[in-house]
Amino acid sequence: MDSLLLLIASTVSTGLLLGAIFALVAAGVTIVYGCIWLPNASNGQFFLLSALVAWGLTSSYGLNSFTACLIVLLAGVVLSLIFEKLLFRRLYGVPDRNISYFVITLGLTQIMSGLFSMTFGKWSDQFSLPPLIPGVTMIGPFPMTNNRILVLVIAYLSLALLFVLLRYHPLGRAVRAVFQNREAALLRGVNVHSIYKISFVLGSTIIYLGGLLYALAYSFDLTVAWTMSITAFAIMIVGGPGSVIGALVIGLVFGFTQAIVSNFTSPTVATFSYLIAMLLILLVKPNGLFLK
Amino acid sequence: MKIKSQYWLLILVLLLLPFLAKDNRFLGFILGITYLNVFWASGMNILYGFVGLMPLMFAAISGIAAYALLYFIAEWHISFWFALPIATLFAAFVGVLLGLPSLRLKGFYFTLCSLIIQSTLTLAFIFFPKFTNGDTGINQISPPLWMNEPIKGYVFEVILAILAVLGIGFSFLIYHSKLGQRFIAIKEDDVLAESLGVNVVINRVIAFFIVSIYAAIGGCFYATYIGFISPRSFDVLSSLNIWLFVAFGGKATIAGPVIGALLLAPLPFLLQSLEAYKDILSGILIILITLLMPGGIYGTYLAWVNSKK
Amino acid sequence: MKNLFKKSIIQSLLISTFAFTCLGTNAQNAVGEPIKIGFSTELTGPWTFFGTSCAAGLKFAVDEINSKGGVLKRPLEFIVQDNQTNPTQALASVRNFDVNDKVLAISGTTNSDVSLAMYGYAEQNKVPFLVPVAAFPQLTKPGTKYTFRIEPDAVGWGYSMAKFIEQRKPGATVALMYSDAALMRAIFAGFKYQAEKSKLKVVTDIIFPQGSSDATVQAAQVKAANPDFVIISGAGAFDAVLNNQILDLGIKPEQIVHPFGITTQVFNWGSRSVGSIYGTFFDQGIDNLPKEGRDFIAKYDSANNRPPSYVENYCYNTPYIFKSAIESAGTADREKLREAFSKMNIKELTSGTPIHFDANGARKEYMYFMQIASVEGKRNYKSKQLYYIEWNPEVIPVYDLVK
Repeated sequence: MDSLLLLIASTVSTGLLLGAIFALVAAGVTIVYGCIWLPNASNGQFFLLSALVAWGLTSSYGLNSFTACLIVLLAGVVLSLIFEKLLFRRLYGVPDRNISYFVITLGLTQIMSGLFSMTFGKWSDQFSLPPLIPGVTMIGPFPMTNNRILVLVIAYLSLALLFVLLRYHPLGRAVRAVFQNREAALLRGVNVHSIYKISFVLGSTIIYLGGLLYALAYSFDLTVAWTMSITAFAIMIVGGPGSVIGALVIGLVFGFTQAIVSNFTSPTVATFSYLIAMLLILLVKPNGLFLK
Repeated sequence: MKIKSQYWLLILVLLLLPFLAKDNRFLGFILGITYLNVFWASGMNILYGFVGLMPLMFAAISGIAAYALLYFIAEWHISFWFALPIATLFAAFVGVLLGLPSLRLKGFYFTLCSLIIQSTLTLAFIFFPKFTNGDTGINQISPPLWMNEPIKGYVFEVILAILAVLGIGFSFLIYHSKLGQRFIAIKEDDVLAESLGVNVVINRVIAFFIVSIYAAIGGCFYATYIGFISPRSFDVLSSLNIWLFVAFGGKATIAGPVIGALLLAPLPFLLQSLEAYKDILSGILIILITLLMPGGIYGTYLAWVNSKK
Repeated sequence: MKNLFKKSIIQSLLISTFAFTCLGTNAQNAVGEPIKIGFSTELTGPWTFFGTSCAAGLKFAVDEINSKGGVLKRPLEFIVQDNQTNPTQALASVRNFDVNDKVLAISGTTNSDVSLAMYGYAEQNKVPFLVPVAAFPQLTKPGTKYTFRIEPDAVGWGYSMAKFIEQRKPGATVALMYSDAALMRAIFAGFKYQAEKSKLKVVTDIIFPQGSSDATVQAAQVKAANPDFVIISGAGAFDAVLNNQILDLGIKPEQIVHPFGITTQVFNWGSRSVGSIYGTFFDQGIDNLPKEGRDFIAKYDSANNRPPSYVENYCYNTPYIFKSAIESAGTADREKLREAFSKMNIKELTSGTPIHFDANGARKEYMYFMQIASVEGKRNYKSKQLYYIEWNPEVIPVYDLVK
């Protein structure tokens, strides 16, 4: 009985944790795609960037994880603004810009991955962040580190905050308005270009946050960027490009699937299954499951 | 159909170079790889430049052909030259089958689909070691036999040069044919083309089939020339690389992809000291081309020439 | 008087000539046409960490050898080229080495994909290839003539791990958790084969797909099965995740066995892993290390701020192994070198382990099992030798177990 409880508790905790991180990253990607029409193929590299910089701060400068994460988030906002101005703003008016954006971000992926292997890749083959708080709590028979609990809490608070922001805050509603109907938003006097800027910063910051939470919960290496990119796109597509609800729900589903997968299927089947799912959705219902 | 003198000059140069590199096997190798890339780039140009779709699963189709070729040679004991057309048709067929559903989608969705198909196929190469030997790859692949002698040395490069020239020639023919006109019409405005009686989807399928043939033939020669293949030889980065040759050189022109491949393909081998920067440089190139020079080098040059008139 | 004077002049001339010649010989390190070996390694790309560590170890040995007169009185030169962890790039390098630099032999790479590509070239073009760090059995498959592998093959690692557990606790129950990567599949194929013969019981066998992030659920399964030992081996950073999550759930460090451990892995396992066991081929905690081994450790440690492990060790020994073979061949000729390798029977300089290759170029294999005693941050660690075993590569049907 104890082992069954243990199994259930671990499945739930893993599903919630991975699900939240996936949801955050997918939400970040989908906001930017839905609003600006920018499919960010380099989202995995951004994810990795925040994690690596945080590692650098904690291991070389001895900062504690809280401070490091805050610094990274602030720096992330600045970086997003720079990217937006230098790279993405030029194409705002162009009609077929999603392909160009896709290709540009593929190029960005190569640049970042090259930079990472020249720097961080030489300094260590794996990375992790020191826990936020020490100690272990027993949830029934299941020992859960306090760090993991805290990461879970932060992740869900952020998701809730994001939801509230998009639904109730004027800026959030402007972002959604632009996504749903660009022309109408323009007519209503919404400064579309500045909304683009805001949504890019917002979307990227969520991705950075996802990276930090991942680094707090797990050890990682440079390959996580590519894995996370594919996962984020898969979630965005299945949930519906632009739909934050879709990203949240499907992200959680993916998280729970990852948690249970090795129990019931062979690794080969598991790895193929979400790629096939993504393909089927693209072909049958390109708008995903949550968009009309 | 006038063939300009510049083209003849280009073809002549391409065919002569292997003889110049006869004694330097290292340069010969670089030349061989460049010819393969010229061939591939000409092929990809047909879909990307003429029809307007970016097939990121190009490398995976090459991979299917390469693995199929080796399988047929090993299992049925036939020669390379017999296995080549069989493997090519097989891979092209599989390619079209996989790409078919996505060919009705618009540009970005097609690209995304092809990215997913590419990733899935790379994983398939790793996870079905029965056919592909998995991660380990297949080494000691012997070169094709010609009159019972394995093709060695610069002769192989001459063959690859001929292949490259044939590839360029074929894409030239398509460009100037009715089929080619239809392709370009679809790229410019597919809705308009449809209304004018051009069956968009069928034509895309034809283009895709032709491009898959290019990918497949290239894959077969790649395997026997390099002597080693693994799932990583045919991953998404390879597709992106070939795309870069086309975009950099100038899509929708005949000479563009050739120029792009000639300039960029030898770089990683010649600039060994800049190894580390290869990814970064190609990433920067991709961004610069997309933002500043959508017509590529040759395209921009043509536009400049035209503006002078 | 005159005679004495003459005698002393002649004497001093003789002495000074003699002294000059001696000094001259010593001062001029090695002189003459260098003996060239092509060394392709991963200075960039995903394996950059291992490639650069290897290159560092290599350089120490080359400098040492050349300062003591080189090989056959000629300087030994390793031409190091980056292959970017890309087999095609490595092939281009090797072609370059063979045809342009006309090297005597090739060596290098810490990555198995790359090593297999180089292997194909070496066998086809009859170039002796000494592989310092690559554990794929296929590198010495039957029929191999020119390739010689220094590191024991991965299937053998699994075999020796089963033998170790058998003597530590006969009839033990074992849980396996590992990533679905070629190296791990080889190790565990060997382990499971021998486990049956050693009467060990595998109670859980969990394979993780590449790209997995979390193993908590599987750790719970393992805990429920209550095994004596848990063997974990993750790809990349997942190894640390497996280790942490298994420990989080209450499995004791003494129950955990890692098939292989290099210095950075031990640091990543950290002080919470004191008591855990890992396999290795060279470690500062090995009993009775020869002086050369201790000197190498001190030298590497002071230059790189961490102790070396077996990757650096093999790369350090590679030039010495070449030296021994070339001197035994008597001349810098590829065929004679190949013969010298196949007849070689010496001891590894830094560890005293035997270097002797079978008909396919596979070295007589061995492994140490160490237990972590303490970990000091990312600077140093101490471990204790628990077990040492030697075996012939084909003691189990290694070439059938893994394609």
